[in-house]
Amino acid sequence: MTATLVLKDVARHFGGVPAVDGVSIEVPAGQITGLIGPNGAGKTTVVNLITGLLHLTSGKVLLDGQDVSREEAPALARAGVARTFQNIRLVPDASVLDNVVAGFHRHEKAGLWANLLGLPSARAEASDLKRRAMELLDRFEMTALADHRAGSLSYGHQRRIEMMRALATKPRLLLLDEPVAGMNDTEAESLAGIFRKVAAEGVAVLLIEHNMRFVMSLCSHLYVLASGRLIAEGEPTAVGRDPKVVEAYLGA
Amino acid sequence: MMNFFFTYQSLFDHILVYALLAMSQYVVLRAGVFSLGTAGFAALGAYGAALLITKSGWPPAAAIVAGTLLGTVSSALLALPLSRLRGVFQAVATLALVQIVLSATQNWVSLTNGALGVNGIPKVASTGILLTVVVVVVLLLVAMGRYSVGRAMDVIREDETVAVSLGISVPYYHRIAFIVSGTLAGLGGAPQATSSYAITPNEFGFSMLVAALTMVVLGGRTTVWGALVGAVILTSLPELFRVFADYRNVVQGILLMLVIVYLPRGVADTLLGLLRDRRLRRAAPLAAVVVAPAAAPAKDPVRANFEARAHL
Repeated sequence: MTATLVLKDVARHFGGVPAVDGVSIEVPAGQITGLIGPNGAGKTTVVNLITGLLHLTSGKVLLDGQDVSREEAPALARAGVARTFQNIRLVPDASVLDNVVAGFHRHEKAGLWANLLGLPSARAEASDLKRRAMELLDRFEMTALADHRAGSLSYGHQRRIEMMRALATKPRLLLLDEPVAGMNDTEAESLAGIFRKVAAEGVAVLLIEHNMRFVMSLCSHLYVLASGRLIAEGEPTAVGRDPKVVEAYLGA
Repeated sequence: MMNFFFTYQSLFDHILVYALLAMSQYVVLRAGVFSLGTAGFAALGAYGAALLITKSGWPPAAAIVAGTLLGTVSSALLALPLSRLRGVFQAVATLALVQIVLSATQNWVSLTNGALGVNGIPKVASTGILLTVVVVVVLLLVAMGRYSVGRAMDVIREDETVAVSLGISVPYYHRIAFIVSGTLAGLGGAPQATSSYAITPNEFGFSMLVAALTMVVLGGRTTVWGALVGAVILTSLPELFRVFADYRNVVQGILLMLVIVYLPRGVADTLLGLLRDRRLRRAAPLAAVVVAPAAAPAKDPVRANFEARAHL
């Protein structure tokens, strides 16, 4: 069985300068795969290439064995690729609940006219989506904040909203771009539990992180990126001892 | 009371017509489309209705519907190329449309009477009819804003990258917003012609474009109430302060600057936001503690790096 996401020799150049070069990664379903590397290694570029926000210079991206290298971002999202953003990106004036409901977009069935005119089918769907969003809020322990403006909440809460929105899309592949940056260990640990459960439900999770302890505790397989190239991969503790990895991080 | 109403009746009509134009502007801004086309579509609606009544002898109701549809059809045609553009390019393209429509109304004399405008239009759009139309449009826009379309527009306005990452097709919703905007502008223009006896090209020029835009910025662009509040304030201010009539544009400009600096979200949006925050504080005093802004830094590379070293 092939992995949900396969990157084959992927490269992306910006005006001749390679940001990502010759990267091959496999993200199997039901597991959390880690992608680490120092600042500027090209981690977010990889995420943007997978989600179709950037296009490949060369190489291939396979989703469930299908070549999606040339697909546009909305098509990939509809195919079940979801992500969170390193710099939080919400609708700050909308409520927490509405921000999460936006994640259900690809599952909405009510027609355009029903939605434009507020016909019963649109109303029924809206209340159903609200109920499902509340279930997510419950899971992330944010029920009490449902009606608050997303922009008025703390950093940690805003990160959770991003994650709920990504999960609302019911993804096959979930890309988490530094999901616990700026959080303390307790907050990070409570999210780790949620990530494990998501993976256990059969979702392929790619975790991009800086926090080594967090990555070590969660991932079954680790890739290390430095200056746009993979310098190591394998089982987390072994990768952590790899001299090349230590050098990249210490800049020795 | 009735006396007051009759004294200011033309002002009410004016407010109602401009409320439609402001709502036309609101729909595009809410979806993140920087369209300035409202004045152009309003001119099409007004001239379409006025000429059908005076030259072709159409019944006024049918002419108003036709004028509105003219706004719909022309915006639908323009929506195709326009949804491929973004930001300032959309603004320039729609500005060009306004210029083209204005040139036509001024120079296609055989059809439009040129700068003299169209006269002798029967006044059929009474205050009651205008009010009914505005109420219906407000109800429709509230419905539109509440469900899937409004939500998708909000996401697109705030962040197109997020929108595409959620599978939302940006050009599709830009087109919807633009067509609804064109329809509403046509619907604002047609009754304008049929409530004021005469129209001239000047009415639909730069000043209308700026007025519609100012109303939405002043009122707020995330709810339909912003457009209404903006229309009421900007239309009635010059009438209530006639002493300043000569300085009308100056006062308008100062007002706009003050709002942009101190209430960047607009009068209505700011008020609604404050009301909501207060209601939430009352409902859940506990939650307020949780909401206190956390001191968490956006990202601390030094700390992250340190952690990484510590565990290698």
